[in-house]
This record gives sequence, C-alpha cells and structure tokens, in this order.
Amino acid sequence: MLSASTLIKKIATFTLALSLPLTAIAHERFILPSHTVLSGEEVQSVSFIASISNAIFHGDKPLGDNGKGIVAPKLAPLFKRLKPIVIGPDGVSREMSWQAFSRFSVADTQLEQSGTYRIALVQPDVPMTTFIKADGKKGRFFGNKGKVPSGATNIVKRTTASRVETYVSFNEPNNAALKATGEGLELGGETHPNDLFVDETIHFQLTFQGKPLQQSTKVKVVKGATRHRNQRDEKIIETDAQGNFSLTLSQAGFYLLSANIDVKGEAGSGIDIHHHSLYATLEVFVQ
Amino acid sequence: MKTHLSVLPILACTCLLLASPNSLAQQISVEITIPKITTQPYHKPYVAVWIETQKRQGVHTLAFWHEQKDWFKDVRQWWRKIGRQQSPAYDQVTGATRKPGTYTLKISSKELATLKLNPGEYFLNVEAVREEGGREFIRQKITLGATEIKRYEKLGKHELGKVIISVMP
Repeated sequence: MLSASTLIKKIATFTLALSLPLTAIAHERFILPSHTVLSGEEVQSVSFIASISNAIFHGDKPLGDNGKGIVAPKLAPLFKRLKPIVIGPDGVSREMSWQAFSRFSVADTQLEQSGTYRIALVQPDVPMTTFIKADGKKGRFFGNKGKVPSGATNIVKRTTASRVETYVSFNEPNNAALKATGEGLELGGETHPNDLFVDETIHFQLTFQGKPLQQSTKVKVVKGATRHRNQRDEKIIETDAQGNFSLTLSQAGFYLLSANIDVKGEAGSGIDIHHHSLYATLEVFVQ
Repeated sequence: MKTHLSVLPILACTCLLLASPNSLAQQISVEITIPKITTQPYHKPYVAVWIETQKRQGVHTLAFWHEQKDWFKDVRQWWRKIGRQQSPAYDQVTGATRKPGTYTLKISSKELATLKLNPGEYFLNVEAVREEGGREFIRQKITLGATEIKRYEKLGKHELGKVIISVMP
C-alpha cells in the first residue's frame, strides 16, 4: 500500500512517455437511472440500466450480471470482478443485483430510507499488457497468462480499474453515501449531485484513494443522446491541483461526467501503470 | 437567364442519350481532405462518397472507407441511400479507413458510362463519421453532361476539410 504522499509524488512525476493510448478499452461506461429525485411517504423504487457504449445513454454492451443474464464469453471475466454496490443514506454499502441483457444490464433498487443513494459498479484492478507487435499493430491481453509475441516492443504492464456510478435522492438529500470510500477515483465536492440546475455553477472535487486528487486532471462532461447529433459537444474542464473544478450547464438533461488518471506503478511491483477511471451520471433540471 | 438557357442543350442531349446511354462521356474527380484532429483516442473516420439523383435515390458509391461492418449503419445517410441495399455494388470501391490527409478519387468516363446516367443534376455526397467523435455530411449538387469543366468546392467544419469536386467532359 502506498502512502498518500508517495502516491501524490508518483502521480505528479509521472510522464506520458510510457503510456500507449488505452483506445482498446476506452469505451464509455454508464449507469442511467429512471429517476434521480423522488419524494413520498411510501417506499419508492428506481430502475437502472448500465452499459459499455460510446453512444451516451444508448446501450451497446451490458455491464454487470448476477449469473442469470445473457453474458458474452468475452465479458464474463469482467462481470465476475465487478462489484455492484448501493450505498444508502445511512452510509452503509449493500450489494446490488444486476442482470445482463444483450445490449445493457438492468437493476432495481428500493428506496426505504430518505436521503441519498449512490449506485455503483466498481471494477477493481484488472491486469492487462499492451504492446506494439513486430508489424506495427497494437496488441494487448488481459490477465497474467497471455504471451507477448516475439518482436513486440513498447510492452507496458498495466492495471485498469473503473468506477461507474450515479446518485438518487429520496426526499431530502444527505451526504453519507457521497463520502469517499477510498477506492479509486471518486466524485465529491460542495455541490450535491442531486441538486443540479441549469445556469447554476456546480462545484465538484475529484478524490483518489480517498484524498483530494493532487494533480490537475481533465474532466469530460457529455450530454446524453450523442447518437442524435453530429457533434459530441464534449465539455472538457481542467481541475486545479486539488481536484476541484466548476462547471455550469445551460441545458437540462442527463450528463455523463468522466475522468481518468494513470498512476505509475511502484518499482519492483511488476506493474508500469495503474489506470483509474470514473464515470458518473448526473441529471440537470431546468430552472 | 443564362442557366436556364444552358439547360436546353442538356435536355436535347437527354433525348439522344436515351437512345444511346453510354455516350455520357464525363469524368469525375473528388478531392477530400480528412483533417488532423488532436484527441485521445483518435479513430480514423469511416468515409463514404456517393452519387444520388435529385430525388435522393442512391446511384453509385465512389468510395467507402471502413473497418467493421457493425458500424456501417453509423455512416447514416450513405447507409440509408445505398449501403443497406447494395452491398455487392460497392465492394469494389471499399477500402480501409485512412489517416488525415488529402485524397483524390477518380471515376473514369468508362466507369461512369456503365451507370447509364442521363445528363442532368445529381448530388455528390461525402459523409465522414468517427468512432467516439463526430459526424459530417456534405452535399453538393453537380451537373453531369455539361460541355465545360464544372468545379465545386465545399469546406467541412469538423470531420471533413476541403472537398473539391470536378466534373470534366
């Protein structure tokens, strides 16, 4: 385990020299909730879809399964590693059950207590090796059992971890579920993610392993329904050196916020780069 | 006024051509620029270039640069006008996606003659779509059968740069 300060140093001194673009695994991931704001006296339920897809909020491949769904053999190892969790208004983390269908996974959650729920699919470190084959083409394999072909160059041992999440509030929002769990990149900050309105400045902060992210990082915000427009209209916001960033959105809708960082592996660990990504779905309402 | 007059010889021509359709001796050249886009990750765009009638019926694909069949439908206009109906007809003009740069496509008079087109106005379309990127669709009305060289120029804003179409007798 790295101490926070060594970790910070490692991030800061990390250069891109080693890094080969992660295009092969850089598809977007998201959870789309049916509702983000609910009220009432009786228990409410919310349904979700989750997908690996570049078309924002339009499913392409499922993400998550409870063993009862339709899972392509290619995705099965990933789903085995995924941790589907819901953190309730009491701050307690519980397991969630997702079922895969051909194009997306589906889940339900009962909201029994008032407050904010955080619904997440967390992928812990997955080992991966990337390289450039003798013919100049990119190659990669997951896990530790693959073999680098002879003549390959730029061999990089990696791990990739991701956190895909969204937030739902029943009656009055609270912050217990939003507290950083300390695992990977997370979204925090002054603005509650269920209190987002058009033309109001939103203040967020990224944390890494539970501490403010000590590195200026690019955060990408994309409005849903990219499939129905010609330009993705990605908004790129740079955080300050404490992971803080602000944004104002002029249109209501569901947005996907994402960020990713590469952290250099410890000497002797056998890993060159630890890749961490965060995908958070936010709903913005009109004034 | 002048444009109206110039239609007359074409109409006359049309009658002749109905009898002998292979006499539309024209060559078309299309110069396309794929702009350099700095983004991570960058995927080379799928590009389709094709001719349509004025009523937007697909006629002929001049080029189709692609990778996987799963994504053909994302070249939306080309897919609906030609792609989904005519796969054998564009097999010979397909190729791998290309990196940013300027490319010239040529359709010879011999090749054009095999399409048995009547002189008149058509659309020449260029569509580019990039995975995890944007999409751009450029349409230019062109005249086939004119006696002089026709040159058309369009400028893309996102996924396409300059597009220069020349129709030569």
